[in-house]
Amino acid sequence: MKGTIVVTGAARGIGRAIAEKMASTGPLTVIGVDIAPELALSESIIPVQVDLTSIEGPGLIRKAVEASGSPLLGLVNNAGITRDARLINLTEEDFAAVLEINLGAAYRLTTELAPLMSDGGSIVNIASRAYLGNFGQFNYSMSKGAVVGMTRAMALSLAPHVRVNAVAPGLISSEMSMAIPEDIREKMVDSIPLDRMGTPDEIANTVWWLLTPLSSYITGEVIVVGGGRSLS
Amino acid sequence: MSGLVHWAEDVDEDWASVLAELTRAFEASRSVAQVEESIVYVVRQDDLLGRRGAGNAMVACGLLSAARTAAMEGARKGWTANVVAFDEEERSVAEGWARRLLDDSSVNGELIRVGSGHIGKTLA
Repeated sequence: MKGTIVVTGAARGIGRAIAEKMASTGPLTVIGVDIAPELALSESIIPVQVDLTSIEGPGLIRKAVEASGSPLLGLVNNAGITRDARLINLTEEDFAAVLEINLGAAYRLTTELAPLMSDGGSIVNIASRAYLGNFGQFNYSMSKGAVVGMTRAMALSLAPHVRVNAVAPGLISSEMSMAIPEDIREKMVDSIPLDRMGTPDEIANTVWWLLTPLSSYITGEVIVVGGGRSLS
Repeated sequence: MSGLVHWAEDVDEDWASVLAELTRAFEASRSVAQVEESIVYVVRQDDLLGRRGAGNAMVACGLLSAARTAAMEGARKGWTANVVAFDEEERSVAEGWARRLLDDSSVNGELIRVGSGHIGKTLA
């Protein structure tokens, strides 16, 4: 593979692992959205800082892709936030904030970049195992379910030229999961058949596979990477 | 039992339209949850599969996931959240299922598919 890959939310956690994985596996230019210039991870990663929810955000990323001088092979919509509360206590502000970042930014960026995608390109949307439901996450769960819907619709509309899939991580060791109170996190780990949290690299490996021709006959699917927690 | 039957409205292929429809569902759901009444979302089968565009798919699949989460929260209080998905020619049947789900607290967090359009397709 030779070309450009865009990864949003690339400054830390899963997004950083994806950007590093892609940058290390071939002659690729990786545009890492959200990375401050001083935190550039390798010469192959071009840091871009934009507000993904702004009107001009997607266009700025498009310009960075065009400036890279190589064909756009992949897009990873990873940027996401949580603002947890039970439905009865959820505020309009927290509802909108989560929907805007987790869903609106992904939708608008994909709409902006899809016309640039090379034939055989691949889009991977980072959903969450919470799309199956998760207590206290009405907004987050809704946003990730909607990402799954977007994935299916775009898999149909962009076929046969571009594949679109989603990865749904379970409990992954990251800043987001570390924000969960320790006692609750331990109970969650107890419910995971593989008996541990996942790592960002394990998500990156799955995303890498979906971006490469190794998965060339897969589109419109959701791959849950959650240590079996959906069964227990 | 009283509660909310929320029919997903068609949206345009733009973010503002999608957010407005999901916000409408959220505000209606929060209101009934606060008085511990049940929720049923009604969506089109085609939208769960993404067949009528990204906007409608985001709304339908977003509501399904929201219902699954709401179901977990309601289970502790005795109210439920479910989804009915229908093929267009089965709209009146879907109405009946929605009313039934409000009356029967033994079903929670479920997707009821009305019609045959889903057979052989991906599970939601």
